[in-house]
Amino acid sequence: MDIELIKFMFMLTVISLYFNVAISLYGVVAKANLVKKLIALTIFQDTVNMFTILVGYKLWRPGLILQPPVLTDLSPTSETIKEFVERSVDPLPQAFVLTAIVIGLAVTLFLTTIVLHVSYHFKTVNVDEISKSKRVYIHEEAV
Amino acid sequence: MMDYVDLVFLTMGLLALSSVLFTFLTVRTKDLMYAVIYSSVQSVAYALIYFLLLAPDIVLVYVAVAVGIYPLVIILLIKKVGRYEVRV
Amino acid sequence: MRDIVFMSLLVVIILALTYLTYSGGLGDLPPQDIRVIARNYLNLTYNQEISWLWAASPEAVTAIVWDYRGLDTLFETVVFYGAILAALTLFRSISKIPEFVSSAGLSLIVKRVTAIVTLAILTVAASTALHGHLTPGGGFQGGAIASVAPLLLLVVFGKQFFIERKITYSKLLSLRNISLVLLGLNSVALVILGFLIGVGGFVFQNQAKAVSVLSYPSYLLDVPLGGSLFFFNLFEFLAVASGFTLVFTILLSRDDTLRKELEGEELGY
Repeated sequence: MDIELIKFMFMLTVISLYFNVAISLYGVVAKANLVKKLIALTIFQDTVNMFTILVGYKLWRPGLILQPPVLTDLSPTSETIKEFVERSVDPLPQAFVLTAIVIGLAVTLFLTTIVLHVSYHFKTVNVDEISKSKRVYIHEEAV
Repeated sequence: MMDYVDLVFLTMGLLALSSVLFTFLTVRTKDLMYAVIYSSVQSVAYALIYFLLLAPDIVLVYVAVAVGIYPLVIILLIKKVGRYEVRV
Repeated sequence: MRDIVFMSLLVVIILALTYLTYSGGLGDLPPQDIRVIARNYLNLTYNQEISWLWAASPEAVTAIVWDYRGLDTLFETVVFYGAILAALTLFRSISKIPEFVSSAGLSLIVKRVTAIVTLAILTVAASTALHGHLTPGGGFQGGAIASVAPLLLLVVFGKQFFIERKITYSKLLSLRNISLVLLGLNSVALVILGFLIGVGGFVFQNQAKAVSVLSYPSYLLDVPLGGSLFFFNLFEFLAVASGFTLVFTILLSRDDTLRKELEGEELGY
């Protein structure tokens, strides 16, 4: 059990997630197609949820085996419960992320129906073309 | 000799690096069907990292949502709206 | 030009964050030990000696979502309901129109295989949802798995399959609304019962507390039943499965049926 290797790999995971946030944020802001923006937004939400669960992890020590927060003994003694508390991973961030995934899914479904309506009304899903046609429309109304 | 604990963390690091590659390919490509496929592969990598971080409830939700429902809804949208990204 | 400025700004931010994380900005990575509040929750969740604060389920995450932090889940359910409602309202006038051309579906081999696989999917989904207090799983996971089965039936057999068997849009909507009303009643059930008898009760109460003796049953013959957690999982399963089925029914319609929602907009209505 090589403590240096463990810490280096964990740091590598955190830095790769920073890169993911940056690339998906670039995809939301700078790409012109509405469907590409939607795909990049889902990647952004997933990466932020991953950060929350990384907070609840625990360091391995020689002689301590980690376990997920589920008790497998259906009639535990007080010794079993003390060992469970020593070994288990944090259950609170997992409860938060469950709620967050459901809310992200609901927002994505709503955005899909809005993109359908926009495409039927303007006959395109390119944001630059939509803003050009709106400028012509406003100019025609003013004249 | 490498312990199994080292192997767990090594796999976690390699999966995170591969997810960066697939995210970059998703944002870069011009064919939206390929973008959906790359995004699903990145979601599979994330689901494996959730499993290695000992969070089984999250794995069940995440596989059902990000590999099942998101690609389905976006492929329906691509069929009705247009498959290629046109640069004006 | 604008793209290059934006990309270089992002690279500078990534380098700054990497330097801060490396020199100890987020604390030790991974953390040395879990927090005190997590230790308390893990200690109390199936501990029969502290029986005025336990939650009767050996699964800590389900107990936190529906019992210890129940109010967060209440607001999440409200947001989910509002978003599905908004998505269905945008295509409201085509939900009652039947399709004029009924499709014949796919070939015979696909139809027979789908009929067998659908039963398996529904069984796995019900088992995941109803055992949510014993193993990893729960209401939302079971609902998301169970919404795959009507989707397969819609693609392979066509929309006439549902209409012939009288599973219409209005019936699915009523199923969703009834299960959400029962979910709300489940959370205030002990308050109402305490009102009728004359003892005090809490909202989202699961087991007996120090100031109120009412509680849900915690064992069913000899298997732990999580108290109110079992009923929460059951109603959430029904609500989520029917909500997703409604959205897929709307999105899988024909293209000219969907465009009919927007007709008359050149004239201003």
